[in-house]
Amino acid sequence: MAGGKSKAPAKPQGRDIRNFFGQSSQPAPASSQQASSSTSVKHTNEGVYKSKPIEIISDSDEPKPFRKARADSKAKPSDIKTKSERIMDVDEDDVPLPTLKRKKAVLLSSDEEEDSKKASPPRKKAAVTPASSSKPSASTSAAKPKAKAAPARTSKKKQDDDFIVSNSEEDDDISEYDDDDEDIGKKGKAKAKAIPKAASKKTPARPQPTKAATKAPSKAATGDEDKPKPKFNWAAAKAAKLAGPVAPGSKPIPQAAAPECLAGLSFVFTGELSSLSRDEAVELAKRNGGRVTGQPSSKTSFVVLGSDAGPSKLAAIKKNNLKTLDEDGFLNLIATRVPDPSALDEKTKKKLEKDREAIREAAAEMEKREKKAMKASAAAPSAKPALVNQLWTDRYAPQTIKEICGNKGQVEKLQKWLQDWSSSLKSGFKKPGKDGMNVFRAVLVTGPPGIGKTTSAHMCAKLAGFTPIELNASDARSKKLVENSTNIANTSLDGWMTGGNATNAAGIAITDKTCLIMDEVDGMSAGDRGGVGALSALIRKTKVPIICIANDRGAPKLKPLQSVAFNLTFRKPEVAAIRSRILSIAYKEKLKIPANVIDQLIEGAQSDIRQVLNMLSTWKLSSSEMDFDEGKALVKMNEKYTIMTPFNVINRMLGPYLFSPTARETLNDKMELYFHDHSFIPLFMQENYLKTQPAKLRNFDGPEKTMKQLELMDKAASSISDGDLVDALIHGSRRSHMLPSNRPEQHWSLMPLHAVCSTVRPASFVYGAGAGYGGPNAIWLGQNSKQNKLMRQLTEVQARMRTKVSGDKTEIRQSYIPALFPHVVKPLMDIGASAVDDVIDYMDEYFVTREDWDTIVELGLDQNKDDIVLKKISTATKTSFTKKYNSKDHPIPFHKATDLGKVPKKIAAAGPIPDLEEAMDIDEETEEFAEAEEESDDDISKDSLIKAPKAKPGAKSSATTKGKGKAKR
Amino acid sequence: MSLWVDKHRPRVLDDLHYHAGLSARLRALAASGDFPHMLFYGPSGAGKKTRIACTLRELFGKGAEKLKIDQRVFMTPARRKLDVNVVQSNYHIEITPSEVGNYDRVVIQELLKEIAQTQQVDLSAKQRFKVVIINEADSLSRDAQAALRRTMEKYMSNMRIILCTNSTSKLIAPIKSRCLLVRVAAPTTEEMIDVLRHVGRKEGFDVPDKIAHEITEDANGNMRKAVLVLEALKMQSTDLDKPLTIAKPDWETYCHKVGDMIIQEQSPARVMEVRAKLYELLSHCIPPTIVLKTIAERVVQQVDESLKAEIMHWAAIYEVRMRIGNKKIYHLEAWVVKVMSLYKHLFYDINMTDFDD
Repeated sequence: MAGGKSKAPAKPQGRDIRNFFGQSSQPAPASSQQASSSTSVKHTNEGVYKSKPIEIISDSDEPKPFRKARADSKAKPSDIKTKSERIMDVDEDDVPLPTLKRKKAVLLSSDEEEDSKKASPPRKKAAVTPASSSKPSASTSAAKPKAKAAPARTSKKKQDDDFIVSNSEEDDDISEYDDDDEDIGKKGKAKAKAIPKAASKKTPARPQPTKAATKAPSKAATGDEDKPKPKFNWAAAKAAKLAGPVAPGSKPIPQAAAPECLAGLSFVFTGELSSLSRDEAVELAKRNGGRVTGQPSSKTSFVVLGSDAGPSKLAAIKKNNLKTLDEDGFLNLIATRVPDPSALDEKTKKKLEKDREAIREAAAEMEKREKKAMKASAAAPSAKPALVNQLWTDRYAPQTIKEICGNKGQVEKLQKWLQDWSSSLKSGFKKPGKDGMNVFRAVLVTGPPGIGKTTSAHMCAKLAGFTPIELNASDARSKKLVENSTNIANTSLDGWMTGGNATNAAGIAITDKTCLIMDEVDGMSAGDRGGVGALSALIRKTKVPIICIANDRGAPKLKPLQSVAFNLTFRKPEVAAIRSRILSIAYKEKLKIPANVIDQLIEGAQSDIRQVLNMLSTWKLSSSEMDFDEGKALVKMNEKYTIMTPFNVINRMLGPYLFSPTARETLNDKMELYFHDHSFIPLFMQENYLKTQPAKLRNFDGPEKTMKQLELMDKAASSISDGDLVDALIHGSRRSHMLPSNRPEQHWSLMPLHAVCSTVRPASFVYGAGAGYGGPNAIWLGQNSKQNKLMRQLTEVQARMRTKVSGDKTEIRQSYIPALFPHVVKPLMDIGASAVDDVIDYMDEYFVTREDWDTIVELGLDQNKDDIVLKKISTATKTSFTKKYNSKDHPIPFHKATDLGKVPKKIAAAGPIPDLEEAMDIDEETEEFAEAEEESDDDISKDSLIKAPKAKPGAKSSATTKGKGKAKR
Repeated sequence: MSLWVDKHRPRVLDDLHYHAGLSARLRALAASGDFPHMLFYGPSGAGKKTRIACTLRELFGKGAEKLKIDQRVFMTPARRKLDVNVVQSNYHIEITPSEVGNYDRVVIQELLKEIAQTQQVDLSAKQRFKVVIINEADSLSRDAQAALRRTMEKYMSNMRIILCTNSTSKLIAPIKSRCLLVRVAAPTTEEMIDVLRHVGRKEGFDVPDKIAHEITEDANGNMRKAVLVLEALKMQSTDLDKPLTIAKPDWETYCHKVGDMIIQEQSPARVMEVRAKLYELLSHCIPPTIVLKTIAERVVQQVDESLKAEIMHWAAIYEVRMRIGNKKIYHLEAWVVKVMSLYKHLFYDINMTDFDD
């Protein structure tokens, strides 16, 4: 707890602050009882045990560069170890952790210790460490003087020492830890007792002079020792985190036998592991260099099987004869496997080598290009910024088609279309060509951001010999501007050379071929009135190719373009398609980043190449290496919040993982899912909560299972019912009499509660395997609108019958419709056409019209259900019924207001109107004239205008412009 | 040609067959010239509207029977147009504000003020005031009810209001205190048989005792239903002495099917089927409360004694929730699942005890 609370400081500053605290914080006598009691023992044992830790530690990985050894020469007054210091200890542990997760920093120097710790919950663990660290203080105190002399001494080191010491007295200590836990739990840090100051030594710096009989700190040694830490921290944190539920967290995460120990292996995970959550397991594999795929194939090296493995995967395992591992096996593999480079077969080796070679080559190519560009710019200082000042995204923008990552097919299509442009223009866009693209005068490129849409468009245009002219969201693109400022007739270049648009072409050699690139079409918004419409009109006539670029293909705004432009959808490239490109850029920039970290970055950015480059270029400013955890933190920092569709949310919610005991999501994370679409997800939940095979039933069988299942369903359903009550408080209920007002209550602050009641809680009962979750569209929304429609019709029927019948709507439905049925519908079914007259008489008696007759039939249920009934009435009867009804006059109880109301004002349309905009103009024109009529006394001019407005182009155009001006206002 | 219910509806207070005391009171009130606002309440089919119509006739004479329907358009503050059907004679006007849902307040405010602010123009009219009948007053929103309060007092000289509702529980106290409460209770069996006989006589046949009893039992105090059933039976077979089964209305048999489904099987798949049927019922304008009530009654008939109370208990709870909540189906389904769960538990418990024995 202590650790958790005080942990904040950021990596770089952490140490300083700590120092500050360590030195200046209130001195309080602090030490644990054991510490004092065991001091003497430790002293005696010191020498013996000290040698141990070094061995263990030293075989771990290389030193972290950014955690520099920090010289710390201060020694504190030995008798004043403070609480705060103990807290600080914890801090130190945390700080170096590159990940932002709340991992508890626990240094585990040996497996035995880990075991002893697992049992206790995470927070406590953190607390334990400091406590235990005080024990060794005795030993360290001895070292103190030396520490002063030797500047490099790390707290970690110290802790290592501590553990070592405790190892020596393993059994005792373990029990002591437990005591500690409890104490700390109860009183917080207050427990601390006077501790030999030595402990305070813990300087944040890691390098610790340690060891053995000779305390002499060897810096080199300490360096080695540092490396393992991140790994240890990580593992410990995992173990700590996992400590909550029963089985979960029961297994220690072993230290990897070697970095990248799983390199070259590919894994498939299936089912639920007992101690690791799926995410953790996948991460673990990736961290150690393994590859994780979704479906087993013949190339899969191992399938890690948990309980409830998917049947399809099991089948695949059998089919491909794959090796399977259980969770222990998997962990064991990590602990023991040392990849032997020589073990790799020739082919892989060659491939690796080739990859490396390719990267080097690509980097060299970039280098070359840059030099050339440098020379060029030196020769003729252009508008372009010097290369060094360019963004990476510009500097490494692809310059050949080959360099574009992913979407090869689409890019080729685009290029082909541009190359064929002149011939298709000649043929009048009649020949579809191979892809059917050549009948279009424009292409609409859509896809998520950062995958090279604009880049590809520009490059294709250039390669096909066109001069790209780009208009993007930073340019105003209203109707008028689109029409006037684009040279679609391709008649003259004068406009471009001399006109106001010369800037567009700056720096680009003007050829006689131009290509218009409308970037960010979906960004045409309020300011660009009529822009999209004008654009589509423009496309119909254009003589230059137009490439429109947008993100969301389905956007309603782009509707006008859909029909006139060929739709080319760019997809997110696969990670593999980007990896090598990023690797070569990193190589060129001398960034040392392993491939699995790159993968992680790309995945985190969702294949947004631009974002990955931006992240890397920023990272390069402070460091030139990145490890897995740092990468993870970076991704987390740059995390994109994408809106999940309700389908994805519901799959996740009801899926077996989100609520499984090993899951790591907090309640907040789960509620977050609801907020992806708070109006639809509850509907989806209600629609689908019965379609799962609840995971909670796994251990039941027979009747007990049925009962348990019903119980779960009951809980879920009543929670959904609760949710609806909350919803009524938020959105108001249509007719709630229990509430003081039936207006929307708008208690929006209840939304989190609604999230829990309507979505999270039901899912927590029934989650489990299941598939085929459908949307509520067909069901709830459909039924609801049907109900509204029938209700409206019923109201109408009731209104008509009102003079004859006293009942209200519900009475009409419940009593009269069943009673009328035998009189107005049944005869048609049983007797047929000859009954039509009687039926019509009966209907007239109640003022029921032909439409109301339909309503009556439609309202039928069960054996009176409309389709059953209509099937029984022959077509001949039906037509004669309709004919006869229409041929007669019928009594009408009243007239509908809409029947009598004013006829909606018609637009004065003169002849066919070619274009909507124009129609608007005409409309405005007449208005103008009407105004003029009122204002002016000049009858003659007025008359002439009214009679022949079109004859006077001058007058018209002025009126038009005025009208437009008004519209804009 | 019309249905018998409408054909033989009493037109004047004297023709009413039951609640003679009430009829006398109404006649006296109409004669006194000091006619109060009134609130008629009672179960449906008890004769509230018939009684109101008779009272109007007593007040204004035959002119009150000449009804016409008008459709009025109101504008909400949000510029939405509302169509409201208004039934009126020269002396009274009848509205059903619940037709316009949440906007009933607008209708109440505008329409009432309009009527209240004009005097009775017909000099030959028996009364100086006009009458406004508000149907389904229990579904008036709170806002609309509040809007009524002051209007009822302020325009007393020009207007009387007659509210017609099934239950007074949803009316706010200030409204109730401004009205004379008139309870129109459901007729007793004898009274109903009396009416049935009367109808039979008018149609020229005798209603046998047996069938009359069956009908009244089935109608459960709903006079309208009783007459409709009588007519249906007569249509089925002219000879009412033969044993006949009373045909249930379509929605009722459908509800019963749902109830049977719940008892037959308890499983997620079955809940889905039930859900589909419930949707069907709701979308065909059967009020959710009726649905729940009918199904619950059906289920209760078929379960063990010990479960009956509990099932009804939960039905009551979910009925309240339906009223407070938005989406009725959620609560209906929750109840269905609850019943299934209870039923299954009981089922297995019995089995266990059997084994024990």
